[in-house]
Amino acid sequence: MIPVENYFLLASFVFLCGLSGVMFRRNLIMVLMSIELMLNAVNIVFVAASRQLAQVDGQIMVLFVITVAACEAAVGLAMVIALFRRYGTVNTEFLRLLRG
Amino acid sequence: MIWMMIFFPLLGAFLNGLVFRKAPKGVSHAIAVGAMLASFACAVTLFMEMMAAGGEAKVIHGIPWISAGGFSAPFNLILDRLSGLMILVVTGIGSLIHIYAGGYMHEEERTSRFFSYLNLFVFMMLLLVLGDNMLVMFVGWEGVGLCSYLLIGYWFQDDANAAAGMKAFIVNRIGDIGFLLGIFLTFKHFGTVSFSELREMVGSGALDAVKLGAVGWITLCLFIGACGKSAQLPLYVWLPDAMAGPTPVSALIHAATMVTAGIYMMTRVNFLYYLAPSTLQVVAIVGGLTAFFAATIALVQNDIKKVLAYSTVSQLGYMVMACGVGAFDAGVFHLLTHACFKALLFLGAGSVIVAMHHKQDMRDMGGLSKYMPITHIVFLIGVLAIIGFPGLAGFFSKDEILWKSFTGGGPVLWGVGAVTAGLTSFYMVRLLCLTFYGPNRSDHHTREHLHETPAMMWAPLVVLAILSATIGYLGVPEVLGGHNVFHHYMEPVLMMPAQVSEHWESLSAHHSHEFEMGLMGASVAIMFVASGLAVSLYARGPAAVLDNWAKKFHGAYEALSNKYWIDEIYDSWIVQPLHDMSEFLWAIVDVRVVDGLVNGVGQVCNLAAGLASFRMTGSVHRHGMVLVMGLVVLLVVLVV
Repeated sequence: MIPVENYFLLASFVFLCGLSGVMFRRNLIMVLMSIELMLNAVNIVFVAASRQLAQVDGQIMVLFVITVAACEAAVGLAMVIALFRRYGTVNTEFLRLLRG
Repeated sequence: MIWMMIFFPLLGAFLNGLVFRKAPKGVSHAIAVGAMLASFACAVTLFMEMMAAGGEAKVIHGIPWISAGGFSAPFNLILDRLSGLMILVVTGIGSLIHIYAGGYMHEEERTSRFFSYLNLFVFMMLLLVLGDNMLVMFVGWEGVGLCSYLLIGYWFQDDANAAAGMKAFIVNRIGDIGFLLGIFLTFKHFGTVSFSELREMVGSGALDAVKLGAVGWITLCLFIGACGKSAQLPLYVWLPDAMAGPTPVSALIHAATMVTAGIYMMTRVNFLYYLAPSTLQVVAIVGGLTAFFAATIALVQNDIKKVLAYSTVSQLGYMVMACGVGAFDAGVFHLLTHACFKALLFLGAGSVIVAMHHKQDMRDMGGLSKYMPITHIVFLIGVLAIIGFPGLAGFFSKDEILWKSFTGGGPVLWGVGAVTAGLTSFYMVRLLCLTFYGPNRSDHHTREHLHETPAMMWAPLVVLAILSATIGYLGVPEVLGGHNVFHHYMEPVLMMPAQVSEHWESLSAHHSHEFEMGLMGASVAIMFVASGLAVSLYARGPAAVLDNWAKKFHGAYEALSNKYWIDEIYDSWIVQPLHDMSEFLWAIVDVRVVDGLVNGVGQVCNLAAGLASFRMTGSVHRHGMVLVMGLVVLLVVLVV
């Protein structure tokens, strides 16, 4: 049986991949995909912990996270399309409306 | 019935002002005159009913209006001998002037606005005279002030007219403050502002010393209000300027009705004035001075309406003087006769002005009797009435005032009144001569178009002339074999305390009938001498001797023709300092200090924001990075 720490290490790796993608990718679609990665890293932790503790709560939570992720993807992609139509780009370098 | 009478003019104003704004002139005129005639019919019926019931005062209960704590002012009306008389004057003379105005405003494109204001004025005036408490009266009081403002500035495209309107309004506000203070004081000390309740309270004699002391202040405050409305010293300055309005307005508002509101109001609360002898003294002195002062200015004016305006101020001074010596009935009698003959004179002057193509300078007139025979005759009657020619209206009312001012005020007051009567005769005869007699001095073009006015204009004049000639017989004094009907008519309205009436009895008994006749003869003689002098000087137009006089008495002439520089003094002592102070408040306090503070706060915020805004790059990644770094720091802090 694979020790639970390995799952956590894998989850941390995936999470950091996602986080760095969010921070460094310039393409908004890639950013959204990175967010998906982060959510899935959390899912791994939930499932691993659920099995380790022999409780089903974590798995239920994962179902919720998947649902929310689907919604988030739908809304996020819709916004990306709207942005593209409005500004002709999805590159965050050129989307700086909050600049002071 | 009484509500109908009030609301007919309001209905007329509503129809003309809001519904038929684009109606042709004839329709506007018909609506306004119809409303007035209906109102007049109601007034006559009401008056007849009241007199048939013995002339008792009757309070007509309306809606509860203002009620707060211990204070209540229901919208009640009072119909007694005084207000009954006033509604007849307002609606009767008002109707005649409305009819006349149709002719006068003939050259205007539309008149719906004019007649709407005029009807609204009558509505407000009726409220003023019928209100049973000071607040209802105050509503009417302000309402007539508003209509006066609107009508003075009727031709507001000309800045001077608009300024005259504002001047009238603002000067009246000064008086209104006095009136308001009087109302407050009345409520504070008597707990009510209802005339009938006040009267009962005073009549029951249950006034302690504090209340008696307060009465002095109350009456003084109310008198300040009367000074504003009735154009007494020192607040008379607005009335001559008010002549900027159309002439029917001058006749209705600034001669016959609104300016007499002050006298009406003092008569309404005569029971308070009788309790305040020192206020009465002030009233008498102010009235006498105003009468004399305004008459001297009228001597040298060349604008036909300005002469009549100063004459009105002077005659109002007479009425106020009568009130001041306690002869409120004489004051109201003069109000009645003056309303007739001054309306006649103003409307006559209006006819002249129309015929002269809106030229008002008398030096360019002359010889109009040939061109306007009817106007000439009625104007002559008006002049004879105002100068007190024996047998005409002004003779009886003015003589009543002079006699009462002698018995109640002393020989000095009588002297002022008699001299004023002489001055009145002089300037009125001067006006008559310069306008209607002598050679015609107008230019060729104007002379060609001189003509009698249409019947719509001269018919009301004829009615007024008949009234001016006959209405004086309501008050034939006993010394001339009359019964002084008017005096007895007014008796129930006046409420003299016992000691005052005893004082009066002794004063009148002190002087014999022969003496009264003598005084009357003296004033008539003064009248004839002054008129004769004016005729000899002006019958052939302005005489050369006058120029010599003007040079000889240069200072006096300058003072008179510049109206004693009163307007200039007010301007430099009151208006200019106020203006400068306002400018200071605006340019320094408001712009620099207040705006500076507000803008300064904004600028400081802006500056601080600018300093902080370099952090706001707008880059999502930068924000995300800062977020993550913060999280890491938090984690480290929590774990370690």
